[in-house]
Amino acid sequence: MELAIPTTAKGPSQRTLVLRYLRRNKSLVLGLALLAFLLIFSLGGSLVVDTAKLAYPLAAVPLQPPSAEYPLGTDKDGRDLLAVMIRGIQLTGAIGIIAGTLGIVIGIVLGLLSGYFGGVFDSVVRWMTEVLLTIPPLILLIIIAGTIVDKNKVTVLTMALVVSILSWVGPTRVVRAQVLTMKERTFVNVAKLSGMGNIEIIFKELMPNMLPFLVASFVGQVMGAIGASFGLEVLGLGAVREPTIGMTIRWAQFHSAMFNQWWWWILWPVLALIAIFASLSLINVGLDEIANPRVRRTE
Amino acid sequence: MKGKLTRREMLRLSTVIGAGTLVTACAGAATPAPAPTTAPEPTKAPEATQAEATTAPEATTAPEATTAPEAATGAEVPRNRTLVLNHGGTGGKYTWVGQINPVGGMNHQEGGALLWDPLFYYSVFADKDIPWLAESGTYNDDYTELTIKLRAGAEWSDGVPFTSKDVVWTLEAYKANEKIDYHQQVLDFVDSVSAPDDQTVVIKFTGAQPRFKFEILSFKFDTGICPLPAHFFEDKKIEATKINEEPGGEDMPHTGMFNVKMTPEQLVYDLRPDWWGFKTGFQKEPDIKRVIFIPLSDMATAAQRVVNNEADACLDLRPTLIRTAVQQNPKITTHTGKDEPLGYIDWWPNSLWMNTASEPYSDKDVRWAINYTIDRDTIDKVVFLGAKITSVFPYPEYPALKKYLDQARPLADKLGVSKFSLEESAKLMEKAGFSKDGEGFWVKDGARVNATIDGFESIHADIVPVLVEMLRNGGFEAAINFGNDAYQNMADGKPGLYMFGHGASVIDPYATMELYHSRYSAPLGTTAGGNHFSRYKNPEFDQIVDDMRAVPPGDPKLNDLFMKAIEIYWTDMIDVPVIQWLHRIPYNQTYWTNWPTQDNPYLNGAYWHWTFPLLVMGLKAAQ
Amino acid sequence: MRLGYVLRRFIFLIFVMWTAATVLFTIPRLSRVNPIRERFAALARSTGYAPKDLENIIASYELKFGLDKPLPQQYADYMGSVLRGDLGVSLMSYPKPVAELIGEALPWTIGLLLVTISLTFLIGTAIGALAGWPRSPRWVKGTVTPLMVLAAIPAYTLGLLLVYLLGFRLKLLPMGGAYSPGMVKALTMPFALDVVKHAILPALSLILAYVGFYALGMRGMGVTVQGEDYVNFAEHKGLRQGRIFYWYYVRNAILPQVTSLALALGGIVSAGILVEGLYGFPGIGSTLSAAITANDYFVIYGVGFITIFAVGISMMAVDLLYPLLDPRIRYDRK
Repeated sequence: MELAIPTTAKGPSQRTLVLRYLRRNKSLVLGLALLAFLLIFSLGGSLVVDTAKLAYPLAAVPLQPPSAEYPLGTDKDGRDLLAVMIRGIQLTGAIGIIAGTLGIVIGIVLGLLSGYFGGVFDSVVRWMTEVLLTIPPLILLIIIAGTIVDKNKVTVLTMALVVSILSWVGPTRVVRAQVLTMKERTFVNVAKLSGMGNIEIIFKELMPNMLPFLVASFVGQVMGAIGASFGLEVLGLGAVREPTIGMTIRWAQFHSAMFNQWWWWILWPVLALIAIFASLSLINVGLDEIANPRVRRTE
Repeated sequence: MKGKLTRREMLRLSTVIGAGTLVTACAGAATPAPAPTTAPEPTKAPEATQAEATTAPEATTAPEATTAPEAATGAEVPRNRTLVLNHGGTGGKYTWVGQINPVGGMNHQEGGALLWDPLFYYSVFADKDIPWLAESGTYNDDYTELTIKLRAGAEWSDGVPFTSKDVVWTLEAYKANEKIDYHQQVLDFVDSVSAPDDQTVVIKFTGAQPRFKFEILSFKFDTGICPLPAHFFEDKKIEATKINEEPGGEDMPHTGMFNVKMTPEQLVYDLRPDWWGFKTGFQKEPDIKRVIFIPLSDMATAAQRVVNNEADACLDLRPTLIRTAVQQNPKITTHTGKDEPLGYIDWWPNSLWMNTASEPYSDKDVRWAINYTIDRDTIDKVVFLGAKITSVFPYPEYPALKKYLDQARPLADKLGVSKFSLEESAKLMEKAGFSKDGEGFWVKDGARVNATIDGFESIHADIVPVLVEMLRNGGFEAAINFGNDAYQNMADGKPGLYMFGHGASVIDPYATMELYHSRYSAPLGTTAGGNHFSRYKNPEFDQIVDDMRAVPPGDPKLNDLFMKAIEIYWTDMIDVPVIQWLHRIPYNQTYWTNWPTQDNPYLNGAYWHWTFPLLVMGLKAAQ
Repeated sequence: MRLGYVLRRFIFLIFVMWTAATVLFTIPRLSRVNPIRERFAALARSTGYAPKDLENIIASYELKFGLDKPLPQQYADYMGSVLRGDLGVSLMSYPKPVAELIGEALPWTIGLLLVTISLTFLIGTAIGALAGWPRSPRWVKGTVTPLMVLAAIPAYTLGLLLVYLLGFRLKLLPMGGAYSPGMVKALTMPFALDVVKHAILPALSLILAYVGFYALGMRGMGVTVQGEDYVNFAEHKGLRQGRIFYWYYVRNAILPQVTSLALALGGIVSAGILVEGLYGFPGIGSTLSAAITANDYFVIYGVGFITIFAVGISMMAVDLLYPLLDPRIRYDRK
């Protein structure tokens, strides 16, 4: 399998090549740009705005439409929506990144081991992933979050941990499937014949080849985790006091913001959510084009 | 290779799935629907006699009424004789289909109240007893005996006469069956029941019970019991201890003026022209011929349906929602017309309750300190948009209670119950041995005060976040718990504050004070259900409450006893009274007028209460 | 070999479903919430009234439902009765049997999800195939990007926007529910149309949210297939474009689509739960949310088992197809 990242090429300068490549991979560029915007807005914003106070109830005059004083308006409980958005993107992103990282690390370990070595270990891992895949994800998460999580103490971290219960399943399956496919391919056989050990093969041959899949899978899990926590939040199972994007949408919906025509309360979090998902999915498509170069041809 | 075949099969499969979908959808809808086969349409006959029903030009009405003709396509009752309510349901469905047994799975809030008649009704705003199946109920002089005269000519829906035998059988069944509500009270209070003749019932009590007729035998709000059809259970050989397991079915004999046709998605109640009350001339036939319940999912959707004239009323709305609804449709009014607070007071004033048997809430200074952090004016401003809803009473401000509350108001002012002062609060906390930590929270022996508020999102989402911030400003580590363990926490007496109501006093101050009687002070580690979360213990207070019990409502002796009790309630701050509970029900006047209002307070407008039939009687067709 | 594998796979499936069921049984029980007390709590907050002798009533109901027994015993009893086809009774809607409750909800969900999934699949695949086909017009290729953005929005959020625009504002479609008030539930044309009208918005929310997913997948596969020798061969043979498009290109690219369809089932079922709740659609998702809020164990179990069963079976089907798709994978033991 040939990888077409032209970073090692000679000839035109590396920068030109990267730029040329990126021009062709519009999805990746757009996704990264959107992500950069979100990062600047949320991380930069918290330097300017006191989110620790303003993103919580009774901090501002309630129900103000956007104005000079409150650029994005305020909600019914007196949160400043600018502060809410800044903090919300951070918190929502944190849930995704924590769960995604946990998922990908566990997934790599389990997937490699079970795919490469097979045997009893493989059976156990397969059994566990199958069990978790058989229960529709949200059902399992709702049941966990709805029954055993101590609601008094739901924080952003708890949310991240709850959704990461499932975030390792996908990566494990992806890695395992890749290993299964590659194991039969020539380059692994060649490596075996040349006397490489198992560990060496895994790290020197399999891992580099899987890198794009892994990155894509990580991005996918971040999206999955944000999506899952959003699902829990709109059902009222989130961190009640925290202004995540999902909780903000939930409160807006709960207080019938649309019926009452407080459009600003629902518009910003929906836009933020769309921006988050769009940037991640564009990045994912872009990565897919790297991992699977033939896809590029159409654009 | 076999692959080709599989592919073809897969493709075929996907088309089959596509086609199958419609079939499934239709079949699914059709299977549980015996509707078209059921012939008897009792509403037809009277409708023909009513001239205005047929002549009323439906199409000329308000242009928004687009749904009327569509809704009527499958039905014989026109929209302008139908009351449509967007209410109830679990997960978009009514789950008690086929179960109209009032001591079984029936839900009286979803129209079940239309099926069963009580001996008496009580209308809280009219402050009036309304004998129904009974003609009268008289206590003897010392309130140890109640004699009930039944109305002649009353009968069950299957034509069997309703007699004193049914009442006796019912009370005996309540004594025998421990799984039904009121079992304990009937068992404790009723010594014997007898039926000297078909129209007379005599109940002998175990002591003076001046409130039995009101508390147990009258329908008001969601409380009270109704007579059960003795012959139905006897014919089916169902023992009294098993009556709660009997579903009943749609045709279980009942005394109420409606029959019901149920599907999980919709409940349709049709008026029975042969109801005993019409036959005997006890009541005149109402304009309403049919009542339809459709499930409630989202409050905004419900409000919009009322705005669109698709529904005539819905469950009570939050303050902002009802404001918008009233503005959007000129035909929508409320109990207070188009003026704030756009609703009426329910019997459920809310407090922040505490487990007064456990640290640190056992210290009344701490309870008072919590009270001082509550800024009731701000709550009125922020949460209720300026209406005066906050309260210092655990009582609803009802006509029958007014004189007691007015008498107590100066005392509340003197004690400073409604005072907001973080300084006073801090003084009390320091007196109680607390000091502030680095983050500004009160600590004692290294522990902060757990001021997590347990509550219920569907009803408390407006007020609790605001209370939390107020408590935090006062140095209490407050948070929200809307989890489904909230009630469990309250019952278990876990650390924290509990946002909950007092469904107690209505006609006299006794019932609410009785909630704090020591007999309910469950020891730590056990559960304290109902609303007995306080676990308050005070022999002096108990004595006052016991004295109140023996005094009948309205007796002047109650005044002094009440003043003594409420003074203890406030000085000890047993719980922190926060708000009156409001029902903001939108009444759409497009099809129905004469809704109960503050100028015409014949009832409270909650159609989900047992008193729903009185509302049906009261509403007048607009077209 | 094949038969042996199928048999092994089937036993594995039963094992997996049993484990999943056990997991499902256990989790809600780790909570210390007493569902019967919660039932009365719900009663108390909707009515303001709380029975005086609540604890006695709770105790006698626990006895009745066997909730006072040790958990392993309850597990054995319950699993036994499930095997006998008895899903028990609902705690919240007592004495309603769980099977009846599910029976009332399931047809709605099956109807909604089958329509949604098949439409999503067909539309998504068609768009994807066309977009990936080199000879398609430019605007066809351009449809993928907006679809991708749509796919980035959770179905629930889409539903929120749709119901506001089409339901609340424009009043074109009903805002929720199953059918209009006063409609008689029968197999008649007006009723069927009314049901369809009510299902449009929930279905649309799901379709829009997922169609891009299939379009992207199909486009990706289509592009891959184009490079394969048999397509090149067909082109060199001079076959008509339409013939190549359908017989060589679509037919070969669609198989992994089927795989991803089955794998996405769980996700769509999940999104369905949220969307059903949003529209007050009387399906199984709404039933489940309500049951979880109320800790209605037996309803949670009933709904859970049925979904596990459905998803498990489809996953097995996929797994059996997998070796057919990529002959490089071999499951048989050497």
